[in-house]
Amino acid sequence: MTALAEEQLSALAAIVGADRVLDGPAGAEQYGRDWTRAHVPAPCAVVLPGSIAEVQSVVRYARRAGLAIVPSGGRTGLSAGAVAARGELVLVLDRLNGIDDFSPVDRTVRCGAGVVTAELQAYAEAKGLFYPVDFASAGSSQVGGNVATNAGGIKVIRHGMTRDWVVGVKLVTGTGELLDLNRGLIKNNAGYDLRHLVIGSEGTLGVIVEVTVSLADPPGDLAVMVLGVPDLGAIMDVLHCARGRLELHAFEFFSEEALARVVEHQELQRPFDTAAPFYALLEFAQPDEAALEAAMAVFEETVEQGWVLDGCVSQSVAQAQSLWRLREDISETISRWTPYKNDISTRVSDVPGFLAEVDAVVSEHYPDFQIIWFGHIGDGNVHLNVLKPDELPMDEFQARCGEVSRWVFEIVQRHGGSVSAEHGVGLLKKEYLSYSRSETEIELMRGIKRVFDPDGIMNPGKIFDL
Amino acid sequence: MKVLVAVKRVVDYNVKVRAKADGSDVDLNNVKMSINPFCEIAVEEAVRLKEAGVATEVIAVSIGDKACQEQIRTALALGADRGIQVETEGAVEPLVVAKLLKGVVEKEEPQLVILGKQSIDGDNNQTGQMLGALAGMPQGTFASVVKVDGDRVQVTREVDGGLQTVSLTLPAIVTTDLRLNEPRYASLPNIMKAKKKQLDVYTPADLGVEVTKHLTLVKVEPPAERQAGIKVESVDELVDKLKNEAKVI
Repeated sequence: MTALAEEQLSALAAIVGADRVLDGPAGAEQYGRDWTRAHVPAPCAVVLPGSIAEVQSVVRYARRAGLAIVPSGGRTGLSAGAVAARGELVLVLDRLNGIDDFSPVDRTVRCGAGVVTAELQAYAEAKGLFYPVDFASAGSSQVGGNVATNAGGIKVIRHGMTRDWVVGVKLVTGTGELLDLNRGLIKNNAGYDLRHLVIGSEGTLGVIVEVTVSLADPPGDLAVMVLGVPDLGAIMDVLHCARGRLELHAFEFFSEEALARVVEHQELQRPFDTAAPFYALLEFAQPDEAALEAAMAVFEETVEQGWVLDGCVSQSVAQAQSLWRLREDISETISRWTPYKNDISTRVSDVPGFLAEVDAVVSEHYPDFQIIWFGHIGDGNVHLNVLKPDELPMDEFQARCGEVSRWVFEIVQRHGGSVSAEHGVGLLKKEYLSYSRSETEIELMRGIKRVFDPDGIMNPGKIFDL
Repeated sequence: MKVLVAVKRVVDYNVKVRAKADGSDVDLNNVKMSINPFCEIAVEEAVRLKEAGVATEVIAVSIGDKACQEQIRTALALGADRGIQVETEGAVEPLVVAKLLKGVVEKEEPQLVILGKQSIDGDNNQTGQMLGALAGMPQGTFASVVKVDGDRVQVTREVDGGLQTVSLTLPAIVTTDLRLNEPRYASLPNIMKAKKKQLDVYTPADLGVEVTKHLTLVKVEPPAERQAGIKVESVDELVDKLKNEAKVI
C-alpha cells in the first residue's frame, strides 16, 4: 500500500471520521478490487463517506492533494473497473444505502449509490412492483455500480439494461460539483441528456452518489421452455418464430458441452433424453392457458421446420427454477477448468456466423481447446469460454488466450460488434477498445472526460488512457 | 396391472401464500397453481412401473372444478394413459375425497393406488389412510421405495428414526414421500399427445357419494413476523444477552 502522509490521513479523517479511513492491507484487500484477480490492490487509503456532502469534500480534497479516486460499490465487476492498483484513494459507497422517496404515482424510488440490487428488488416487491434488472451478482452488486457499468443480465430482452430504468442520477464530478441529472422526468428534451453519459461511464466522469429508478409491474406467472436445436442458425429461426407469439422474458442458449458438464457436476436432470448440439431456453409469460397453447404452437411449427429436435416446459415454479439452473450453473461448473472468458456482442442476426468464425479459428490453431458457448443470445450477447486443457501449464494457456482474444476481437470488428457487451471495459479491455470504437469516438470520449474531470482524478486509466 | 394415481391442484410450492385481509381463507386470487409435489411423485412412480413393464395402464384422477383438468393433463403428459375428473365445487374434505376415490377404485379395480402422502395446502395426511380403511385395502404410507413382486408390493417407509419395510398383498395403497423419485419434465411432444388422451368426468352422484361438510374454517392468519437480529460487540455481551434476555443459558 502506497502510504499517505500523516496530515493527508487526518485531513480525510476530518471529513469522514477517523474510523472511516482505512490505510491497512485489510481495507485494500476488501475494497480495492472487483472480482477480477489479475491486479494486486494497492490503494493509498480507503474512505467510507456517509453523505453526498462528504463525498464532495473527499473529491475536493483529492483534487487539491493530487490523489486519484476509484469509486467502489459492490465490487462484482468482471473488467477490473473498480481496481485500485496504482496508489489511488478508494471511495466506498457502502454507507450511502438509503432507499426512500417512493412515489406510487411516478412509480419511482430514490436509492443511495450503495443500495444492494437485491434490496432494491425486495423493496419494489414489497410495494407490489418490480425492479426488472437482474443478474447473478444481484445479492452483492450495488445500484451505483449498476449504473456506472450499465449492468444488463438475464431479462434484457424483455426489460432492457439498467439505462432503461434510470430516471435520475446525482453525480459528483471531478471538481466536486454535484449534478442532479434528469430528476425523475420522463420527458425532458431541454438540451443534452447528460444522465446517459454518466450511465456506463465506469467512474471516469465522477462519483455516482444517488439514483432514481422507475419500477415495473410484476411479471406474473412465467414458464420456462427448453428446446434442443440442431444448429445455431435454427436458434435464430426459433427466436424469430417465438417473438410476437410469446411474451419473451429471456432467450438464452447453451451448448451440449455446457449442459453435459452442468448435469454431471450439479447432479441435475437432463431436460429430455434427446441430445442436441445446442439448447435454447425461453422464459415467457404464462398468465393463462392461451399462452401455453401459443408455446405449443411455436414448438409444433419449429419441429415441423426441422429447427427443433425435442423440448420440455416447466409445470411448476420449482421446475422452472431447475431448468434455469441448467443455464445459470454453467459459470460455476466450468470454473474448475479455470476458463478464459469473454463477453461480446453482435447484432442478434449475426450471432451464428460470428460463433462459427470464432470456433473455426480457435479449433484450427488450438484443436485441443474446448470451447463452451452460452449467453443471452436473444439480445446478441454471447459468453465465450475456453477451458484450460489439464496438461497445459497456466502461463502457457494464458499466453495462447491472449492470441485468442486478438482473433476474437478481429472477428467482432468485422461483424461490427462490441468487445464488451455488458461487463464494461475497465482495465481488462482497454487495449481492445479500438476494435469497437473509432479513434474519433475515443477522442471525443477523452474530451468529455476532460470536461467533467479536468484534472483526470476520476478512475484514471480505465476505459482509455488520456 | 392397472395403477390409479390421484393428483391434486394446489398453490404452487414456491408461491408465497397470503391470508385474505378478513382472515377467512388463503388468498388464491391470481396465484400460480400446480400439481401437488407429492402427487407428482406418485405419477412418476406409476409411469416408471409402466416403463418397467409392471403396470399396463396408469389412470390419473383428480377431484375438483374444471381447472383441475390442467393437472390431469400434466399427469397425462408425464405418461399416464387416461384421466378421470370427479367434478366438485369448493374445498373438499379428506373423508369425502377418500369416499370419492373409493368410488373410482370400485369402477376401475386397480391393483395399486398411489397417492401423495399429503397435499401441501391442507397438510392433512389423511386421504390415503381413510381410503385404505374404506376400501379394505392394505396401505404402505410414506414410501421411499416401491417394489412390485408378483401379487405383492414391498414398500420401504420413512418412519421416525429409520426405515421400515412392509410387504402388502395387492390390491394395495401406497402414499409417497419426497425421496421416492425425482419427477421428470413434461416433454412438449408428450404434452401434445396428452391432449388426445381420454378424460372422463364423473359427478359425486355417479359414484354414489354425497359431498358433506364436517369442518368449518374459522380463521387463517400469517405467522408472526420475525424480528431482525442484532450485532453484539463482544463475547461477554453475547453471553449476557443469552443469559438475561433470551434466558437460554
